[in-house]
Parts: sequence; structure tokens; C-alpha cells
Amino acid sequence: MTSKITTSQTIGPFPHEAWRWAVDMTATVDSNAPKIVVKGAIFDGDGVAINDAWVESWMPDSAPLESAQAIPGYRRVPSQDDGGFALQISMPQAAATGKPVAYVTVFARGLTKHQFTAVFLEDDAGLAQSEILGQVPQQRRDTLIAKKQADGAYLWNINMQGVQETVFFDYA
Amino acid sequence: MNFDAVESGVYPELIYPPYKSTVKRGPTQAPLRINAAAATTTNLFASPKLILPHDMDMTAQGQGEPLGEKIVVTGRVLDEDGKPVHNSLLEVWQCNSAGRYWHKRDQHDAPLDPNFTGFGKMLTDDDGRYRFVTIKPGPYPWGNHHKAWRPAHIHFSMFGNVYAQRLVTQMYFPSDPLFEYDPIFQSIPDAAARQRLISRFSLEQTVDDKMLGYEFDIVLRGRNATPMSL
Repeated sequence: MTSKITTSQTIGPFPHEAWRWAVDMTATVDSNAPKIVVKGAIFDGDGVAINDAWVESWMPDSAPLESAQAIPGYRRVPSQDDGGFALQISMPQAAATGKPVAYVTVFARGLTKHQFTAVFLEDDAGLAQSEILGQVPQQRRDTLIAKKQADGAYLWNINMQGVQETVFFDYA
Repeated sequence: MNFDAVESGVYPELIYPPYKSTVKRGPTQAPLRINAAAATTTNLFASPKLILPHDMDMTAQGQGEPLGEKIVVTGRVLDEDGKPVHNSLLEVWQCNSAGRYWHKRDQHDAPLDPNFTGFGKMLTDDDGRYRFVTIKPGPYPWGNHHKAWRPAHIHFSMFGNVYAQRLVTQMYFPSDPLFEYDPIFQSIPDAAARQRLISRFSLEQTVDDKMLGYEFDIVLRGRNATPMSL
């Protein structure tokens, strides 16, 4: 059967004002659950920071903990001049889940189609049994795993190209 | 839902040298096709409370009437089974009739319109239909190459009924002479897929002496929606 799907086009450089409402609405997180921060930056194939990218995250397991939020379990963040972004995540109680803490969608000028990826925490004891990571070639799994920093935050960079090119998904 | 692999040529090339900024930003490896139940069965909840009174009439957001040609744009959002994607969040944004975006980085030497920001949002109805009133956007130069002008377009951002249906695209207008010169449009190899981004003029949707109507239907990926995800 021939598919008639609507194809993608780049977000371009000018969505900031149109997309701001959801940035503002998700900038602070109102939940009683413990929270973590995943932060990092997004880079192009020359290692240059992408300063007009967008990082959206969907956190299905966090959504029930954030019923006071306008859009529970969702964040939208524009990258900064240094390519930086930060995601505040309400953590479900279950440990060793092997699940991503966030499903992440990346948009940018020069990116003709959004890219799906996901981020895991390095101290999740369930990573070895992760259904998703199990589908990712061993040598590329590291690009999806955020590393705990001295300040307690988790560091996760997104690389559009290069030897550390982030794994992007097509969901089946 | 199930997501069939997309046929070759339907999506734009991720690295398409005529569109210069793709060269260092497009991933070089093909996306990894995986099964992830949460991505294909869950989604954010878009409350009707997110929609503000004038979000669907972009000509009514200022103190006065914006300049330019007032139009109405409507269509249905469907999945690959032809089922309506209903109660789903949809954002639109565009430049004004002179080709200028409400954005600090837009340096195009064309006037801003104090009565037109160029952005709106809405939810699709039970039938998957959306409808908004706006001003027809103008073409504008974008510096990619000598005499690089974008065909007039409206950006669409759709959240679908499950997360994996997320889509951002651009809607064009019929018979634009700039199509053949635009590397963003031409980055889509498949001619039929390009054509599906072009809205059609609709006398039926045209409102009396007030505004011309354009129809733009959207098909998001995904089949076999469960009642839960509908």
C-alpha cells in the first residue's frame, strides 16, 4: 500500500516567538517527586554549538507525577548561544527501569526532519536489560546515556554528526 | 500504533548540499528502526485550556486589522488508515504579508506589522479538522545563495495522537513560481510528496467577500490506532 503521508520540512530559524508559550509553560516543574536535571549541548559536525535548535522531551512515566503542570510530562527548551539546554525531570520511584528518562525530539534550522532520540541515566541498574538499548548496536549505546556530574546533574550532549553521532530512532 | 517504514524519497534528504546548513547538521547515519511501546502508544495531554481566544484568528491578535490578504486555512489531520487525528495540538507560524517574521533574528528589510505576530495554535476537532484565519504570508529572501527567496509558506507543528506521530512541516500555496528554485522544497526527492505540501484553493471554504479559503489535509504516520490512542 502506497503511503500518502505528509512529509517534513525544517523548523527554520524563526519559531521562537511562536513556540515560546510552551517553553514558558514547562520552564518550572511543579511536582512532589524527586527531580533530576539532564543538561548538555547540541553540536554540529564541526563541533560547533547549534544555537537555534529545539529540544522537546516526553516523559510518560513522569506525567502522572506532574498533574499540576499545564502539560504534564512534557518540556520544550530552545538551545542557548552555547548550544546548551537543560531538562528538569520528575523521577518515578521505580529503580532499575532500563527505560529512558525522556523521549527527546530535536529540531533545528538545517535539519530537514526532526530527529527522535532518548536519554538514559548511567546509574540506572536496569540498563543491561533495557529493551530499547538492546536494539542499539553496543558501540553506539553510550551516545544515549547521561553521565552523573559532581553537582548531581546528568550530562548528555547531542551530536548531529561525527564519531559520537547520537543515535536517532525511527519508531516501528 | 504501528509505524510502517517510510518509502525512500518521501522525507527530505537530511544532507542536501543546495540547502547549505544541512551539510553539518543532518545526521549521517540512517535512523535506527526500533520498537518502543511508549513512543507509539502514549502522548502528552493537550488540554483545551491551552488554547487562547485569538489563537485561531491571527488577524484578531492586535489593536487593529493587519495588512495583507486575509485568508482561511482548513483541513483534516488523518492517520495512515484515514482515521481522524482528533483533539490533537497543532501550532502554526508564519511571516507577515511583507515577508517579515516577528523574530529578533529576522533582518529582512521589510516592515513588521504591529497588528500581526504570525502565530497561532489550536486543537483538531472530533473529525480531525482544524481551521484558522490569517494573512497570506509573503515570500522572503534567506541568504542561502544569490537570489534565494522562499516560496510563501506557513509552518505547521503537529503533536498527533501518539508521540511518534510528531511532525513539523510547511504548507505552501498553489502555483508558486519559486518552488523550482527553493532548496528546502526541493530537498524532498519524491515529486508527489512535494505536491502534498501544497494547499489547494477552495471556493467552498472561501467566506463571502471576506477571505479566500485554502485546504490543506495532513496525513501523519501510523496505523492501527487503538481506542486508547484515538
